[in-house]
Amino acid sequence: MTEPRSLRVVIAEDATLFREGLARLLTDRGHRVVAAVADAGALLAAVAEHDPDVVVADIRMPPTHTDEGLRAAIELRRDHPRTGVLMLSQYIETKYAARLLAGNAAGVGYLLKERVADVAEFADALARVADGGTALDPEVVSQLVRASRHADGLAALTPRERDVLALMAEGRSNAGIATALVVSGGVVEKHVASILIKLGLPPSEADNRRVLAVLRYLGS
Amino acid sequence: MGTTGPVDPLAAGRPPGRGLGEPARSAEPRPPGGSLAALTRRAVRAPFTARALRELLFCAIEVPLGLCVLAFPIAVAGLPLTVTLLTRGATPPAQSSPAYPTGAIAILGGALFALLALFFLAPRIARGLGAVHRRLAARLLGERIAGPLPIRRGHGVGGWLSATARDGPGWRAAAYLLAKLPVTVAELYAAFLAAAGLANLTYPFWWPLFRNHPPGVRLQPVAALTPFGALHIATFPGTFAALAAGAAMMLAAPWVARGAAAADLWLMRGLLGPGRLAQRVADLERSRALAVEDSAALLRRLERDLHDGAQIRLATIAMNLGMAREKLGDEADPAVRELVDTAHRGAKDALVDLRNLARGIHPAALDSGLPDALATLAASSAIPVEVTAAVPERPAPAIETIAYFCAAELLANAAKHSHANKVTIEVAERGGTLVLRVSDDGRGGADSARGSGLSGLAQRVRTVDGRLEIASPPGGPTQVTVQLPLRA
Repeated sequence: MTEPRSLRVVIAEDATLFREGLARLLTDRGHRVVAAVADAGALLAAVAEHDPDVVVADIRMPPTHTDEGLRAAIELRRDHPRTGVLMLSQYIETKYAARLLAGNAAGVGYLLKERVADVAEFADALARVADGGTALDPEVVSQLVRASRHADGLAALTPRERDVLALMAEGRSNAGIATALVVSGGVVEKHVASILIKLGLPPSEADNRRVLAVLRYLGS
Repeated sequence: MGTTGPVDPLAAGRPPGRGLGEPARSAEPRPPGGSLAALTRRAVRAPFTARALRELLFCAIEVPLGLCVLAFPIAVAGLPLTVTLLTRGATPPAQSSPAYPTGAIAILGGALFALLALFFLAPRIARGLGAVHRRLAARLLGERIAGPLPIRRGHGVGGWLSATARDGPGWRAAAYLLAKLPVTVAELYAAFLAAAGLANLTYPFWWPLFRNHPPGVRLQPVAALTPFGALHIATFPGTFAALAAGAAMMLAAPWVARGAAAADLWLMRGLLGPGRLAQRVADLERSRALAVEDSAALLRRLERDLHDGAQIRLATIAMNLGMAREKLGDEADPAVRELVDTAHRGAKDALVDLRNLARGIHPAALDSGLPDALATLAASSAIPVEVTAAVPERPAPAIETIAYFCAAELLANAAKHSHANKVTIEVAERGGTLVLRVSDDGRGGADSARGSGLSGLAQRVRTVDGRLEIASPPGGPTQVTVQLPLRA
C-alpha cells in the first residue's frame, strides 16, 4: 500500500499526551482524525457516529484499566466489519492477540505502543489494517513461533525463510517483505512458495488469508 | 437488742474491709471522722445504687447458669443407668441372673459412650455457655470480653471430632465452668443475703396483721433466716431483731455481690477470652496478611504509575523524535540527523527496558487472572511450555502474584539449569489450596540449599503459610510443587 490514501481515523487513548501526539502524527501524514476519545464507551459511540476507516485504540483504558479497549475492539469487529481495528498496548499478551484475531485476521492489528516511534512503518501498518489487512507486532509473532509445537516443521526452513515467515505472520504483503528485507519481489515470492510447500500450507493470493493460515499453523 | 448481736460484726466489719480502697484515697486529707461518715454514707447507699442492683441481678442469674455444669456428671451417670434399667426391664425376671453380665457390659458401655460423647461435646457446649456468660457480663456489668476465635472447621465427621477435641478455647471455657463453681457459691450467698434480707425487713409490718391473737395463746415461733442461723421470732418486739438482721444483710449483700462478680469477671477474662497467645497469633496473622496484600497492592500501583506515567511519556517522546526524524529529510545537517537518530534509538531502548522492569514488578496480564498471566509467561519462554489451569475461584491478588512469580522463577530456572526440552505448568485448586506444579524433563539435581533462587522462593511462599516441595533427583526429572492458601 504505497499510494498514500487519506484515512478517516478514530483514536481512543486515555493518556492525553500520547493521544494528541498520535493525532498530530496522523494528521501530518494526511489522514483525518474524526474523533479522539479517552475511553471505550466513547470509542463505540464515536465509531457509530463517524463510521471511520480505521480505529487506533489503547487496550488498557478507564475505568478498570485492564482490557476494556480489547473488548470494545471485539465488539467493533463484530458490528463494524468494514472498520479496521489497530490495537496499541504497552505489553504484548498472547491471550489478547488470540481473542482479537479469533479466526479472522482481516482488518485487525496489534502493535506495541512504541512501534509508533517508527513513523513510516506505523503508517504502513495502519494503512494495511484500514484496507482489511493484518498488522501483528513482531513480538507477537516471535512468541507464537517460540510457543509453536511445530518446532520440527520450522526447523526445516532456512534462516532467510524463517525471516520471511515472521514478516508474513506480521501481515506484510510480498512487496512489504521485499522492502523490509531489501530484496527484490521475485526473491520474496520464491521464498514464500518454498515456505508454503515446506509447511504444507495452501497457496493463497489474498494476504490476510495467508496470514491466517500461517498463524493457524503456528498456533495449532 | 440482744438479737442484733450477731448482725453487728457483719454491718461494721464488711464495708470497711471491701470499700476502703476508693474512699480512703479521696478521704485521706480529711479528719478520720469525716472519712468514717463518708464511708458510712457509702455503705448505706450501696444497696440502692444502680450498679449494686445490676451486680446483684448478675449474681442471681449466674447461680442457675453456673449450676448448669452439674448437668454433665448427671448425664454421664444417668445414661448408663437408663440403659441398665431398659435392659433390665426388657429381660424377664427369671433370666435375670444369667443376663447380669450383659447388664454390666451395658453399664460400662453406656458410661464409656457417655464419657466419649461428653469429651467430644464438652468444648462446644462450654463455648455456648461461655458465650451466655460473656453476654450477661456485657449486659449487666458493662464488661465486654472479646469472644474466642471461632472453632476450626473440619472436613467430615473425623475432622469435626478432631477440631472439637483440639479446641483450646472450648476446653478453657469448660475449665471456666468448673473453676467457677466456688464463685457460684459466693454468688448464691449474695443472692441469699439480698433476698432473705429483704424478707427480714418486712417482719414488723405484717406481724400485727396476722399475729393479733388473744393473750395466753402460744404460737409457734416464726423463723427469720440470717447467715448465722435462723432467728426464732415469737413476739412483736422480736420482729425488730429480724428487721435489724435484714437491714444488715441488705447492707452486706452488695459487697458480697461485688466481690463475687469481680471474681467471676476475673475468671471470664482469663478463660473465656480469646487467650493471649491465640489472640497474638490471630493479630499477627491478620497484620501479616495485611502486609502481604499491601505490598502486592503497592507493586500493582507502582506498575500502573509507570504505565500511565513514565512509559507513556517516553513513548510520546519516541514518537515525536520519530516524527522529527522524518521531517529532517535528507538535506538536514548530518550531525543533527545523527543526534536525533541516537535520541530516537535511545528512547526506544529505554522503553524496552522500562517494559521489562514493569513486567517484573507486576505483569499486567495478572489483572485478568492467573491462567492468562501464566499463558503469557509461557508464550515468552525459551523452552516450550504447556499450561493447564483450573482455578474456579480466583485467589486473593497477593496469592496470584506469589504464584505467578514462583512460576516465572521456576521457568527461568528450568531454562537456565535443567537442559529440559519441555516444561509443564499445572495450577489447580484442591480443598481450599492453590497448587502450582512446574515440571520439566531436564537433568534434575535442583536443590534449594545451593541457591538458584529456590530458597528465596520458599521464603516468599512461607510469608503466606504456603509450602514448596522440590523433587529433583540427579538425572531428572524435576518437579516443584507450590501450595498456597487462597487467601493471604
